[in-house]
Amino acid sequence: MNETEHDRRRDDLAAYLLGALEPGEAAELERHVAGCAECEEELERLRPAVQVLPETVERVEASPALRGRLMEQVRSEAAGSQAAPASSQPSRWRFGLRPAAGLAALALVVAAIGGYAIRDSGSGGGGPKTTTVVTGHSPGVTAEMVRAGETGTLRLANLHQLPAGKVLQAWVQRGKQVVSAKALFVPNSDGTATATIDGMKGVSTVMVTAEPRGGSVQPTSAPIVSVVIPN
Amino acid sequence: MKIRASKAERLADEELMPRIGEKDPDAFEVFYDRHGGVAFSLAYRIVGERGAAEDVVQEAFISIWRSGARYDRARGSVRSWMLGIVRNRAIDFLRSKAGRAPKLDFDDDAVLEHRPSAELTDAEALRRETTHELRGALGELPGEQSKVIELAYFGGFSHSEIAKMLDVPLGTVKGRMRLGLEKIRGELAGGLA
Repeated sequence: MNETEHDRRRDDLAAYLLGALEPGEAAELERHVAGCAECEEELERLRPAVQVLPETVERVEASPALRGRLMEQVRSEAAGSQAAPASSQPSRWRFGLRPAAGLAALALVVAAIGGYAIRDSGSGGGGPKTTTVVTGHSPGVTAEMVRAGETGTLRLANLHQLPAGKVLQAWVQRGKQVVSAKALFVPNSDGTATATIDGMKGVSTVMVTAEPRGGSVQPTSAPIVSVVIPN
Repeated sequence: MKIRASKAERLADEELMPRIGEKDPDAFEVFYDRHGGVAFSLAYRIVGERGAAEDVVQEAFISIWRSGARYDRARGSVRSWMLGIVRNRAIDFLRSKAGRAPKLDFDDDAVLEHRPSAELTDAEALRRETTHELRGALGELPGEQSKVIELAYFGGFSHSEIAKMLDVPLGTVKGRMRLGLEKIRGELAGGLA
C-alpha cells in the first residue's frame, strides 16, 4: 500500500467509529484495517472514546409500562418456546405437570380460522374435552390454544404485520363481560405470535384485536380471532 | 434450568447472556433492569420523542431476547453491544422518519466489533466513570469538534452530509472528528490514572 492510501484511510478511522462513513467507504476501511496493524491499533485506541458517548446522555426515566410490555412479551414467548416441541413431547410435559394431574387438567384446542370448526375428540375415561368453536375476521390466520389449569397459551400463525403503533391485545369473555387479558404482543417476523392468558377460570371466549400501542381498556376493533373455550 | 431472579441479579452481564439465549425471562428481566435506563436515555436523546424511544428500546431488547445466544463475549462488552443495537435502531427510525435512506448496516451482529478481549477491561473501566465526568469529557471539547461528533453519533449523519450542513470541506469534518475523539480518549485515560 502506498503512503497516500494509508494516510487517507487513517483519516477515516474516527468517522468510521462514529458511524459516519457511507457503507461502501466503511467496507473499504475495514479491508484496509485488516491488513494494517498501525490502523488497527489506532482504531482500538480511539474506540473507547466512542463507547462512552451513550453514557454522556442525560438520564431520562422510561415509563414502567415499557418494562411491563417487554416482560409480558418475553414471558409469553418463553412460554411459547417451552410449548413449541409439540410433536416430540406429550402436551402435558410442556407445563411441567405431573402426568396424572396434567392429563386431567389439560385441554388442547386446535383452531381453524376464517369460518367455523367444531372438533370433538371425545374424552372417554375422564380425558380432556377438546371441543371448540373458532371464528375470525382474518382469513388464513390459524390459532392453537393450549390450556393447563388456569393458564392458557394462545399461539397464532399467518398473521400480517401490524401497522406502526399497533399491537395485538388479548381479551377474555366471562359471561357477558369482556376484559383485557393483560397480554400485549406483536407478530414475529414469520407471522407467528404467542400470548399467555392467565386466569382462564370461567372464560368462555378468548379474543385478539389490534389496538394502539400500550393497549386499550376495551376492544376498539373487530377481533382478528375468537376462540371459544369448551366448558 | 431456569434461575430465579434473585440469583440472576448476582450474575455478570456476560453470564446472563447464555441464560437469555436459553430463553430465561428472569435473566432477561435483570438485564433490562440493569441497562434499560441508559438504553432509553440514548434512544430518547437520538429520536427526541418518548413514544418513539420506547418503540426503539422495545425493538432492540426483543431482538436481544431473540438472539441473545449470538452475543460473543470475546468481541465486546454486553453493554456496548446492547447500546450499539439501540443506537442503530434509533438512527434507523430517524432516517426513516426524515425520508433518508438507511445508511447503517442494521445487522445487529455488526455492532459486535472485532477487538481483542483484553480491551474490555479498559472499556469497562472507562464506563465506570461517572456520567458527570463523561459529559465533561464531551462538554470540554471545542464546539466545532463536539458538534461533528454529536451530528454523527446522535444524528446519524455521514461525514459528507455534515460537511454540506456546516459548509466546510470534508477533510475538515474528518479532522474535527479525529481531534475530538483524541481529546475524549485523553480525558478518559487521565481519569483512569
